Amino acid sequence: MLFNSLNFAFFLPVVFTFYWFLTNRNLKTQNILLLLSSYFFYSCWDWRFLFLLIFSTLLDYFSGIQIEKAVNPHQKKFWFWLSIIVNLGFLGIFKYFNFFTESLKDVISVFGFQFNTWTLKVVLPIGISFYTFHGLSYVIDIYKEQIKAEKNFVDYALFVSYFPLLVAGPIERATHLLPQIKKKRNFNYQQAVDGLRQILWGLFKKIVIADNCAIQANLIFNNSTEYSGSTLAIGAVFFAFQIYGDFSGYSDIALGVSRLFGIELLQNFSFPYFSRDIAEFWRRWHISLSSWFKDYLYIPLGGSKGGKWIQVRNTFVVFLVSGFWHGANWTFIIWGLLNAIYFLPLLLLNKNRDHLEIVAIDSKMPSPREFVMMITTFMFTVLAWIFFRADSVMHALQFISGIFSKSFFSIPTERPTYLILLIFSFIIIEWVGRRNKYALEKLGFQYSTFLRWSMYMIIIVCIFIFGAKEQEFIYFQF
Amino acid sequence: MKRFLLRVLVFSLIFFALDKLFYIFLFTAPKLEADKRLELLLNGKINKELIVMGSSRGAYNIIAGQIEKETGKTAYNISYAGSNVQFHLFLLKTLLKFNKKPKTIVLSLDNPYEFLYVKSFDYRYDKMYPLAKYNYINDELIRLNDKSEFSKFFCLARLNKNSFTFKQKEMPKESPILQCGSMPFIVESGKNNFKFDNRKIRYPVEEELKNKKRAFFEFQKICKKNNIRLIYCFAPNFRVYDATLANRIKKMSLPENQLFVYDTTDFRYKKIEYFHDESHLNITGAIVFTSELSKFINLNK
Repeated sequence: MLFNSLNFAFFLPVVFTFYWFLTNRNLKTQNILLLLSSYFFYSCWDWRFLFLLIFSTLLDYFSGIQIEKAVNPHQKKFWFWLSIIVNLGFLGIFKYFNFFTESLKDVISVFGFQFNTWTLKVVLPIGISFYTFHGLSYVIDIYKEQIKAEKNFVDYALFVSYFPLLVAGPIERATHLLPQIKKKRNFNYQQAVDGLRQILWGLFKKIVIADNCAIQANLIFNNSTEYSGSTLAIGAVFFAFQIYGDFSGYSDIALGVSRLFGIELLQNFSFPYFSRDIAEFWRRWHISLSSWFKDYLYIPLGGSKGGKWIQVRNTFVVFLVSGFWHGANWTFIIWGLLNAIYFLPLLLLNKNRDHLEIVAIDSKMPSPREFVMMITTFMFTVLAWIFFRADSVMHALQFISGIFSKSFFSIPTERPTYLILLIFSFIIIEWVGRRNKYALEKLGFQYSTFLRWSMYMIIIVCIFIFGAKEQEFIYFQF
Repeated sequence: MKRFLLRVLVFSLIFFALDKLFYIFLFTAPKLEADKRLELLLNGKINKELIVMGSSRGAYNIIAGQIEKETGKTAYNISYAGSNVQFHLFLLKTLLKFNKKPKTIVLSLDNPYEFLYVKSFDYRYDKMYPLAKYNYINDELIRLNDKSEFSKFFCLARLNKNSFTFKQKEMPKESPILQCGSMPFIVESGKNNFKFDNRKIRYPVEEELKNKKRAFFEFQKICKKNNIRLIYCFAPNFRVYDATLANRIKKMSLPENQLFVYDTTDFRYKKIEYFHDESHLNITGAIVFTSELSKFINLNK
């Protein structure tokens, strides 16, 4: 059940009505309803994997309690490692098994040996990377005695399986979401309206920007040998907007839907393409994942303590693992590595925390220097996205060498005017709304209801008219 | 909560009303089309004994009106340039759903591209979009994942960015659509630099697409079920004939279906005067070829 499908358009109002009207606003009943709805939502993809989700939830639930109850460190460690190994084991089997066996086969064949591998022919359970990370952070936090184990199974299960974030995040923390689940929620008009507005903007990003860019990006990436350097460059830019529209659009819809139920989720994107350097980009892109890696990998590895080289090592580890998290392919690992390399000069020069506020916070336009910095960061990001999108490392390298050829200076053959205009309009709206949580949050607030509603109507009309072939959300595969 | 629900309701009602205003574009779109054949098909106006189907080679090379005269069977051509076998299957289903079933279907095949991936042979969505007001067309677009389920309820969801026009489309001057649905090239292309290609190319069986073959089998099955005589037709290219695809078709075909290949020894098919371009005959060539096809139909009843 996709967020942009008719099924979801029926599902959401039904759950909303039951949630606010038929549960007597009883917290326990509301949570049970949300949990059952989440399981139904998940089983719409593949009901068989629901058992995996429930098993993973039960494991972390009991492990959490056992870790807290443990009378000695050995017992504590046992339950902690049991949970970690089983969780990562599932992830490893479903997501990485084929990658490792294929890579091993390739390595062995270099030495002239033949090695018969067998690969698992299973579909990747949707959202496994996301709910596994929910469970891991919960267990680690209990082990570190930063939080108490949750005794109420429904509340814990809802934390892991809450349908707006179940399949593609944001990756929530127990410290942020569980207290909200346990607290009585009252309907808040402003919050609900804001939620609808955010859903609308998310749908626009996904259906109008991402899905239309996807058509062009797919065409150019799938036939990359036939295109000139300039067309390939445009193809890479289309992909950059596709992935941003797709993933941040999904996050906006997730956050907006959750607001309808009175629950605030973590912000996942904050105008990353307006970043002035790569460090700022990573503070604004997939924020929940970046902060997860920071808290559960970077800091445990020593973080920035222990000297510059330890910091550099830890940064590289985080980016490589982050790349690997995205997919079992060398392309993702190189994408991570490239980002680490981009990060390196900032780290060495202690400039990685130079830009904490959004660009041009007090002015309408960026300064020429800021503008150049934004464009440069964007170009570096686009270059890295080529690895993310390409089918193989060779494909990515061919694509890049195609860009940096003489034909870069020719007129691109694929340049759909409507899409370029849409992207420009999108950038303008995002720029105007860059100081808010999402671009549409306060846009047009100074105008009358009539004008604001007209603006929303235009956005809806665009969603219908420019709605391209329905494409799955890219991050579902992770 | 009351305020919220009320506002959502009012907004939805306004949007619902606004959406219905866009019906004007859905309503006028079919009238602006120069090629009305698909709409005639939907309205049950193509009740002929013989139907020609295929891509450009069917549309440009086979003159249905001439077949009608030479065989005595009423005939119509619903071939679409650039269409693939999946689209032909859709046309067949549409034909049988809304019209009297024909006795014979001539399916023009694209040698050698019939089952291969070629960008220029596609499902002709563009021919369907202007007819999106018909639920049948819209349902097909939904089935193909080209339109969302929302289009069942909202006019806007049936439109796309090219729908916002009131401009009448013009008939192609080089190959206007005749009364019989055929579109022979009546104007010289001006191209005279193409040469007869003597090279034999290997037909890559391993590159055949499963979904195209599936559509081909289904096409046969439907014809058999409806007791329709099916003739596979190979029109000339301006190149040496390669029989690999024809042999493949023989293997894949049900025994009752017939295969018609142009007379490869006919010297006229090696002369540039009979061709519009490397892949299509001009009207002179089309008359010669259609006559040959009519003879085949008459002889193999």
